[in-house]
Amino acid sequence: MRIVIAEDDPLLREGLALLLRAESLDVVATAGTAEEVLEAIDTHRPDVAVLDVRMPPTHTDEGIRAAIEARRRRPGLAVLVLSAYVEQTFATELLTGGVGGLGYLLKERVGRVEEFLDALHRVADGGTAIDPEVVAQLFTRSRQDTRLERLSPRERDVLALMAEGLGNSAIAERLVVTDGAVHKHIRSIFAKLDLAPTQQVDRRVAAVLHYLEDARGR
Amino acid sequence: MATRERTTTGGRTGRGGEKRSDSLKHTVVTAVLAALRALGRLVGGFGTALPALALLGWLVLTAVTSVVGVGLLMTPAALRALHALAGRERGRLARHGFEIVAPDPPPTKLRLAVADATTRREAAWVAVHATFGLLLGLLGVLLPIAAVRDTVFPLVWPLAPPDATSTSVGIGVAHSWAEAASVSLLGLGWTAVVVGLGPGMARLQARPAVRLLAAGPDTDLSLRIAELTATRAAALDAHATELRRIERSLHDGTQNRIVTVTVLLGAARRMVARDPAAAGELLERAQTAAEEALAELRTVARGILPPVLDDRGLAGALSGLAAQCAVPCRTDVDLPQRCAASVEATAYFVVAEALTNIAKHSGAAHTTVTARARGDRLWLRVEDDGRGGADEAGGSGLTGVRRRVAAHDGSLRLSSPHGGPTVLEVDLPCGS
Repeated sequence: MRIVIAEDDPLLREGLALLLRAESLDVVATAGTAEEVLEAIDTHRPDVAVLDVRMPPTHTDEGIRAAIEARRRRPGLAVLVLSAYVEQTFATELLTGGVGGLGYLLKERVGRVEEFLDALHRVADGGTAIDPEVVAQLFTRSRQDTRLERLSPRERDVLALMAEGLGNSAIAERLVVTDGAVHKHIRSIFAKLDLAPTQQVDRRVAAVLHYLEDARGR
Repeated sequence: MATRERTTTGGRTGRGGEKRSDSLKHTVVTAVLAALRALGRLVGGFGTALPALALLGWLVLTAVTSVVGVGLLMTPAALRALHALAGRERGRLARHGFEIVAPDPPPTKLRLAVADATTRREAAWVAVHATFGLLLGLLGVLLPIAAVRDTVFPLVWPLAPPDATSTSVGIGVAHSWAEAASVSLLGLGWTAVVVGLGPGMARLQARPAVRLLAAGPDTDLSLRIAELTATRAAALDAHATELRRIERSLHDGTQNRIVTVTVLLGAARRMVARDPAAAGELLERAQTAAEEALAELRTVARGILPPVLDDRGLAGALSGLAAQCAVPCRTDVDLPQRCAASVEATAYFVVAEALTNIAKHSGAAHTTVTARARGDRLWLRVEDDGRGGADEAGGSGLTGVRRRVAAHDGSLRLSSPHGGPTVLEVDLPCGS
């Protein structure tokens, strides 16, 4: 897996590269600004870009802008965005363009190496990795959504894990239930959220998007 | 001279008395200090009453000659002088704790200005202050001199020529020790008058200004409101900037360091079975990053409120700054009581910024920091003998200082001619 890293803090940048290289992943380039990373993406054609949200010059949302721009230039590029804190607008802005091959994680998750690598691989394979913190905030903010109120607590748990990007068996493992039970919950969620099986889009993605867009509308 | 000498003595007694916390002594000390402050105000009032007298003469002359037309030419200058003096008196009284809300500036057109309510009120004040205020101010100057002269008269009596008048009031000649000693009693009497009536006299002298120089009941306070709105906005702005600075140094500095620690620890954990030596190296780096995080955290915390202010007060904090300054720095700080924490922090940053600028740009050989409590205001002065030419627009951090000062409703004055010296003066309400 070919990776580029953009992080303006030199020590953390080195740390990330060191960690990934120690896992025998191929870090092809590192960058300190959005411009540099876009250049590196053009030059090195990586599989995954790991981007920090706040980078010079304004230290606001350069990473998000860079992610959107990079995916515009190279559709299908997997992007994992790392953030110092959860910012809803960043998450929704990033993910409404399509959730495949995207991740949004708090920076400190990187320290849990197994989970971080898992998220990285998931994103590289076209999946999603959303930080549990982001999902938790979505649920708080979406509490007034009447359709959400139809969900049982267990179904919310399942949806939360779905939004994090976990597959059915991973969800079953986390909740200590059988795969069949998870299947049942998911079908129920789709029904309650009015997601008909005839829809073209992946219903899992639609369910997650529903919350993201809902949170954005507020 | 006499006044000044007594000020020093009074001050010393004051501090000794408070330490012993003897209540009678405390009362006496408070009364003496109040009298000394009142004398200071009366003498200051005398200082504006003399120009007021000259101005009064000028105004009368202008008015009289205006009848034949000549005076009309003098009117604009006379009115400018009137507004300038009134402004000076407002400033002086503000330093003594009288909040005088200044009216709108009077119109510049001659006819309107003459008819303007503010102009008329200021002219009335000049008339009262040049006569009544001058008299009170004169008493403020003479009473302490008389008190000292008469009190110490017995000491100089043996040296005085035999027929010299003994008392300040100009009557009586002392012929014996007893008579000379009784002059001393008269001196104590003057002192009692000063202590008893001084504060009242000072209030009386200030009253016409408080009444006449403030915005009249008919004028609207839009100017003051605009000013308050602006300073309030500046305060919010300064706070927002400050908070943004703190947030940024926490998120982009400290937090990144700690994330680096977790990343390195995570990597080390994965490494430990495979390659213990490499894992040890990672742990070493993680520890260094953790230490850096701590150092960053300290810097951020100190930036919010220097702990030295709490530990040693503003005086101690300022001498600490002076000791760290690359240019030899003398401090002269006399602050009997604490101010609000935010005001002290601002004062600290003003001086820190000024000394940094001096060390960086001025080429000065010496610098002096002075801090005084004036009524309920804190007054700071930073002076250096460098090359001058300090420019606020030059990004010297002075703009930030000015905003921070304005946020506290204080004022900042910078004088820095080419060739020096540079003087920065800041006046802040204590707000305690």
